[in-house]
Amino acid sequence: MKKTIHMTVNHKPLELEVEPNQTLLEVIRETLCLTGTKAGCLVGDCGACTVLVDGKPVNSCLMLAVQADGKQVATIEGVETPQGLHPLQTAFVDKGAIQCGYCTPGMILSAKGLLDRNPRADETEIRQAISGNLCRCTGYQKIVEAILFASRTSP
Amino acid sequence: MLLPKFQYHEPSSLAEACRMMAELGGGVRPIAGGTDLVVNMRRGAVAPEHVVSLGRIKELCAMDLSGRTLRIGACCTVASLAESSDLASQFHALHEGALSLGSPLVRNLATAGGNMVTARPAADLPPPLMAYGGTVILQSSQGQRFVPLDQFFVGPGRTVMKPPEILTSIVIETPSAFSGSSYIKLGTRRALEISIVSVASFLTLERPGGRIQSARIVLGSVAPVPMRAGDAEKTLIGEIPNGPLFVKAGETAAGESKPIDDHRGTAEYRREMVSVLTRKTLHTALERANASE
Repeated sequence: MKKTIHMTVNHKPLELEVEPNQTLLEVIRETLCLTGTKAGCLVGDCGACTVLVDGKPVNSCLMLAVQADGKQVATIEGVETPQGLHPLQTAFVDKGAIQCGYCTPGMILSAKGLLDRNPRADETEIRQAISGNLCRCTGYQKIVEAILFASRTSP
Repeated sequence: MLLPKFQYHEPSSLAEACRMMAELGGGVRPIAGGTDLVVNMRRGAVAPEHVVSLGRIKELCAMDLSGRTLRIGACCTVASLAESSDLASQFHALHEGALSLGSPLVRNLATAGGNMVTARPAADLPPPLMAYGGTVILQSSQGQRFVPLDQFFVGPGRTVMKPPEILTSIVIETPSAFSGSSYIKLGTRRALEISIVSVASFLTLERPGGRIQSARIVLGSVAPVPMRAGDAEKTLIGEIPNGPLFVKAGETAAGESKPIDDHRGTAEYRREMVSVLTRKTLHTALERANASE
């Protein structure tokens, strides 16, 4: 039986009918068609599906959509500001932190979760914050450099 | 691929949750963080008819330190433990256990209670909680009972809980003066790792620089359940702490452990590492005990 949930996605309040066995990831990708959030391992190991729930990065494949009732959800589509790309997104582009791009939305949301709390995070804190996000292309170095750059240059 | 279908219930009080658990019978599973249940449903290992969410029950989501008792609500996230200043200042081993569990993403969902009831031999919170002499509180519509963690785990994935019971909280006492603790998890990497061996040690001294008054050593991943190394603890009581004593305690703990060979490591390697980690955690616990007030 479907359940009615209310959640705010990228600042937009929504009322949705969801099945209890749908994950937050499935609702984001298939119901809301926000396909920037990637489906990877589906068991919480890879971090491709990372979104922010009430400001905290989580694996959306491990969360039931019904558990997101009443919560604020942010996906990669909501990171851009009216002024253009978010400083983290600009830094990822400028520093060459994107190769195939599959991990990028998750990486940026994990990084945003950190910098929103701790705008001057250091390298250790950054490496720790993205330790649940796997990247098979970059070797992480350029990703860390991009986040560090965004951290140092944030207003 | 969709998860198997189930009916979802979201009680807002513990009494209501207990009633649901009793009425819905055998096909019911509670869900808190979901980091185990959702994965097990995804893999087809479980297919409950009913899922009862504990996440909206406020009293299960609180952690409070009142007097000398720390009560950790079952639905407190592991991240909230890792970020707690009370834990960072007074419960070092538990703080280290919380920080080593899964990844930051998993820690934002996974709960303290979930890490108990799933009863994995490699779980990160049971060894430190047992090192502080922790107790869990189990509730059903029949009443409440307190079970020391020492007696809670029965085997991999099995505990003494009866099906309608809900684990509501974990209780530990603030360590007495001149106490210190430490937890080390050994894996092949530092995040998203299931430990090969883990050890939590806890020491109380008579006074700084004095003899050992009490000791607890708990080993993870080297037996079907997290286990106390009772003989190793006995070697320490009443002694002046020093390097050779800790070597002896480590070797004794290694002898008591019951590891198996598997893809993460051999029994022989694990036994050796029990000895090393016991020694290291005792040294750190001692430093902290000497520095404590």
